[in-house]
Amino acid sequence: MAPAVIVLLIFTVFPFLFTIFLSFSNVSLVGGLSINFEGIQNWVRLLHDGRFWNSISNIALFVSLGVVLEYILGLSLAMLLRQKIPGREFFRILFLMPISITPLAVGYMFRMLYHPSRGVFNNILSSIGLPTINFLGDPDLAMFFVIATDVWHWTPLIFLLLTAGLQGIPESYLEAAQIDGANSWQRFRYIIFPQLIPTSIAAILLRSIEASKFMDKLYILTGGGPGISTETPTLFAYLSGLNNFDLAYGATIAMAFFVLVLVFFILTFLVITWFGLTKLGRA
Amino acid sequence: MVPRKVRLTLTYIILIFWSFMVLLPIYWLFTTSFKTRGAVIGGTKYLPWAQFKPTIQPWINIIEEETLVLSLTNTAVIASISAFLALLFGTMAAYGLSRYKFHFGFFQNRDIMIWIISQRMMPPIVTAIALFIMLKWFNLLDTRIGLIMVYVAFNLPIAVWLMENFFSQIPETLEEAARIDGASRLQIFGRIVLPLAMPGLVATFFLCFVFGWNQFLFALTLTWRNARTLPVLIAAQHAQAGPQWWRISAMTVVTIVPPIIISTYVREHLVKGVVTTNK
Repeated sequence: MAPAVIVLLIFTVFPFLFTIFLSFSNVSLVGGLSINFEGIQNWVRLLHDGRFWNSISNIALFVSLGVVLEYILGLSLAMLLRQKIPGREFFRILFLMPISITPLAVGYMFRMLYHPSRGVFNNILSSIGLPTINFLGDPDLAMFFVIATDVWHWTPLIFLLLTAGLQGIPESYLEAAQIDGANSWQRFRYIIFPQLIPTSIAAILLRSIEASKFMDKLYILTGGGPGISTETPTLFAYLSGLNNFDLAYGATIAMAFFVLVLVFFILTFLVITWFGLTKLGRA
Repeated sequence: MVPRKVRLTLTYIILIFWSFMVLLPIYWLFTTSFKTRGAVIGGTKYLPWAQFKPTIQPWINIIEEETLVLSLTNTAVIASISAFLALLFGTMAAYGLSRYKFHFGFFQNRDIMIWIISQRMMPPIVTAIALFIMLKWFNLLDTRIGLIMVYVAFNLPIAVWLMENFFSQIPETLEEAARIDGASRLQIFGRIVLPLAMPGLVATFFLCFVFGWNQFLFALTLTWRNARTLPVLIAAQHAQAGPQWWRISAMTVVTIVPPIIISTYVREHLVKGVVTTNK
């Protein structure tokens, strides 16, 4: 017990408390590090900072649209591979591959594919006579193509979790339904899907929590651009705090973002309990 | 009802389409790492030999460079030592949590567990800035030791959670039997519990290793030259004007291959572990 608790106290709990302190301070790196308590100025500045609220709305879009798409695709693929068809193992192993690829590398791979003139996607579009797209250079579209990258990367995780969930459904339920004359859609709608709800909630929550931290692929895909159209809170805090070395303000952004995330997930959890969809722990 | 043949054909069309989507970026990365400057700049070339002449020049270039070798060593050393320490501390904590009852006022085992896991839910940026200042105090910025310590804390929650799961699957009756036969606590742990938990230990180690290998934000914040890891190296290459895609691609291949191999291996192990402990 003790070593684990000590490590967490030093490298997680203390930095967390320290960040709160920093957000009420004035930190200067000029002529050695100096930290002075300052009051709520950083927080006042943050509340009036349109760039912060922009990053919050970006991450909200990123998480909601991204996770929904990942869930729909992951569920479809898991259902397709529930059938005992030749090549099932091969497809499973192949579909799981993206999970383990370094996020930064995924960003780089898609950066090449999205390239306006030499990229594969525009090459395919123009060869079938469609107009080309400036994937990452258009402020209105860039976020959607960033999301597409995340869907490519993490749909496999949902697929993996739901495949495990599907294996937990007793075959006898489905046989009974079949004898009663349920067609395949009815079997999915009334038996498989309800049985999958706990796993689905766990998978969606897990992905949402992870997605809210998003910055690694973004760092290389757009760097938050064009302008600030794809900037997420983590990237904004990084750029302010550790690129421009406004450490106190970076800490404030990070802390404010964490408070919002915490409130959001507590509310979500309350809603889930409200609808009696618990049993998450043993899902 | 849709005829079986139609349904099967549709299934395969979708599966093959998704396989194609999965493979395209990976294929593109591998082929680009064998292209010359001309083949990259001169348009979109798909097929080696037919459309462009493959060359191993980018590979020779990156292997000759000291920065890549240094980053590769850094990443391997930092990921493996931090995974080992996370596993060591995590196993101790998990075994304690699964076999003894703790009370800190109203704070009990389950609360401790939730507290530990919740550390992982916090966005890393929340601690990154504070860690930057802390490591600066101790002169540990841009050192392997600094990053290792941060990664241990980063991986610990996962290690505790996974190992607790594995330990709780080992029947306590086995340990009781050993105790009656006069085995000490250490003997019980070393001779009975650890061997049974071996698949779990291996899987947890490699999972932490992959997390450490792929970690970006902490590495970007806390290292820049001497302890720079592969993801940070690639990011730095890309930031340059007119990035040399062929070179970066070769570096990226070096970065992604170990986690892919390890994950495939671990998945086997995890599956076996679950199967053997459930029987």
